[in-house]
Amino acid sequence: MGLSLQLVLSSDPRLLCVVRGAVDRLASVAGFGEEDCHAIVLAVDEALTNIIRHAYEDRHDESIELSCRVLENGVEFVMRDHGRPVDKAKVCARPLELVKPGGLGTHIIRQVMDQVSYEPLTDSNQLRLVKYLAKA
Amino acid sequence: METTLRQTGSAVIVDVVGDIDLQNSPRLRKTLLETLQHAPRVIVNLAQVRYIDSTGIASLVEGLKESQSRKNRFILFGLSKPAREVLRLTRLLTVFEVYETEEQALAA
Repeated sequence: MGLSLQLVLSSDPRLLCVVRGAVDRLASVAGFGEEDCHAIVLAVDEALTNIIRHAYEDRHDESIELSCRVLENGVEFVMRDHGRPVDKAKVCARPLELVKPGGLGTHIIRQVMDQVSYEPLTDSNQLRLVKYLAKA
Repeated sequence: METTLRQTGSAVIVDVVGDIDLQNSPRLRKTLLETLQHAPRVIVNLAQVRYIDSTGIASLVEGLKESQSRKNRFILFGLSKPAREVLRLTRLLTVFEVYETEEQALAA
């Protein structure tokens, strides 16, 4: 079995920093440099924040499953929640020309990650993020 | 995340230390908006921000918009590497008035 890490966390924002620590170290183990590790941490954090705020509508007692896997050429994160499905059409980064406070998280995720796929399943929602190591 | 306020002339400097995320960005927002109510110039020191995500950036944007509606100045300085990178990713780096040092921010 390849290197993997499974976390089940409450949708409590106080746990975001805990997850960031784990993701940072995992990305480093996967071979990413400091800047990429930070970017990966940011993207995963943004995704979890979106789940807390939108799927769970800021309820802090729900469950989020985070699966992290080191690939041969990168790293994969799969997040699963049991909250409100998001309208896929709205899982698009908004135009950044509009300077307003919200809607930046999705943009950041898409900027950082090489693959972003969101899928509402029968009883859950699944978000998969993949970042590949730069070719030498 | 901790914030402390310092008064220098007509400016209030908001020193921000730590991580800014969903957990504590509302506190930052509240501090910035309250400070803007009485300070014609609010200068935010981000040198000791270890981490900031889009909710933290959103708080800064709200501060900026409030300052514009009040015709106040809202300035950032000492962008840490994480802060600069997130502002770059969100293409908001040029939207804010940004300086390297506190001296430059006060002289602006």
